[in-house]
Amino acid sequence: MTTFAIQGRCLSTPPPLDWREQLAGMLGAKPRRIGNWAELGLYGALNCLAEAGEKALPPEALLLLGSRRGTYVPTGQALEQMHDDLPMPLTFLQTQPSQLLALLAAQMRWRGHAAFIAGGTPQALLQLAAAQCGSAGVLLGWVDEMEGGASLWLRLKPCVIGGEKPVVASAESMFSLDATHLYVVGNGVQAT
Amino acid sequence: MTPVHIAGRGLACSLGLGVEQVLASLPQLASHAIQVTLPGAMAGDYPYHAIPFSRSDWNERARELVQRVAAEAGAQQIRDGVLLIATSSFDIGAVERGATQMDYQAFADKVAAWLDWGGPVHVVNTACTSSLNALLAAQALLRSGAASDALVLGIELDNRLTLGGFAALQLLSRTGSKPFGEHRDGLVLGEAVAALRLSTRDSALWRLAGGANVVDGEQPTGASVRAVKEMCAHAFADSAVAADAIDLIKVQAAGSPGNDAVEAQGLRETFKHIPPLVSLKAAMGHTMGASGAAEIALLTACLERGVWPLCENEGDAELGVTLAATMPQNVRRFMATILGFGGSHASVILERA
Repeated sequence: MTTFAIQGRCLSTPPPLDWREQLAGMLGAKPRRIGNWAELGLYGALNCLAEAGEKALPPEALLLLGSRRGTYVPTGQALEQMHDDLPMPLTFLQTQPSQLLALLAAQMRWRGHAAFIAGGTPQALLQLAAAQCGSAGVLLGWVDEMEGGASLWLRLKPCVIGGEKPVVASAESMFSLDATHLYVVGNGVQAT
Repeated sequence: MTPVHIAGRGLACSLGLGVEQVLASLPQLASHAIQVTLPGAMAGDYPYHAIPFSRSDWNERARELVQRVAAEAGAQQIRDGVLLIATSSFDIGAVERGATQMDYQAFADKVAAWLDWGGPVHVVNTACTSSLNALLAAQALLRSGAASDALVLGIELDNRLTLGGFAALQLLSRTGSKPFGEHRDGLVLGEAVAALRLSTRDSALWRLAGGANVVDGEQPTGASVRAVKEMCAHAFADSAVAADAIDLIKVQAAGSPGNDAVEAQGLRETFKHIPPLVSLKAAMGHTMGASGAAEIALLTACLERGVWPLCENEGDAELGVTLAATMPQNVRRFMATILGFGGSHASVILERA
């Protein structure tokens, strides 16, 4: 079993109306041409780190990002552009989910192990994190822009002692204000 | 630490269907790229490594290729294990043809159904490094005891978006792939479906010792020297091997003017004596998210069978590195590196068990 303590979180489902202004404030400037999905991801990740009291991840930490639909909007745009021409270079870049990992790394001035996992569930993402992360823990995100948008992030660090009476965790309970610890037990995830 | 073995492999690429056919075709590398015509501002013909396997329906072709390659790797023995699908383009070729919607989970479910898979399924997309990151995730899952077997399945199949996007970014060669070559002028993309079956139960000739992935946001579409060096250092540490214990490096060397130079500099600054280098890009093209699995499947077979890719282009002396013209003797341990979009730098180390 792996036990994680939740050190910080961002639970924006949907994000506040002024999230773009907030993001511009955090970045020091309005982000340019990175696409809505990536902006949403940056917004949540930076908020989560701020709540955890970190400006950047430690080099040994893991960054894992998941999504149900990811970059489907710019992908649709790129396919439209390809009816009679090549896609616009920046539109094509926005179709690549891993660009968000690079943007986050650049923003944090961080270099380390990061990966995008397409589809699945937040619980499955946490199981991958438990297998791969060391003592520096993981910044785990789930970002989608359907249905008003969601930017859900947890800053998790492995710990020895958790809470009492863990219960099976749904995606909702993983990303809730009530949770203090998450547990990866076999093929399941629990929370207290 | 629990050893993780490469217990099976399968491959379909422009050189053929199945590892044996690919090995037989390898020495005739000059004839395997076709020409693809793109429209618009960068209009013209581009070489492309297509798998020589035709079906009118994209999904039907993908299904047959995936089933064939997975079966070659012995996937039918481990259907309750972990399946890690590595891709940068999913089934976008089917989306382009109106045959499906862009939906990650639907893609994962479709591939799992093709394989009658009963275990957990993860889809890894870190662009070109997807297969190597899937290997690292699989190794971690197996070492954690979450599973005893895993299948890393790289899938990169015909689609216009990837070709068009790379052309729009002016990253493609119009002449051919020239890894570390003096006249290198860009990438030549290709298709591949590749499978590596990993096991902690079955011993095999090759063991995955470890590896590392380093994302550097400084260059979102390319490599950086510092990240190449960190990637190597972390891979050595994770594998518990020293740099001078590496007998061979399968480099990224996709023929990019900038990235090849960065990779070469990173290697020069990492290794006191650079081991022999090999590139498979001229033979099979850059197969993107499948490339890590495809090139490991082919290289392990090459080393076992004494087959070596031709090295036809003239090397760039300014890079200070050269590709090995002949197979080095007694390769016990090799690195396999892929550098990709998203500032991702990944390398794994395999050693003879």
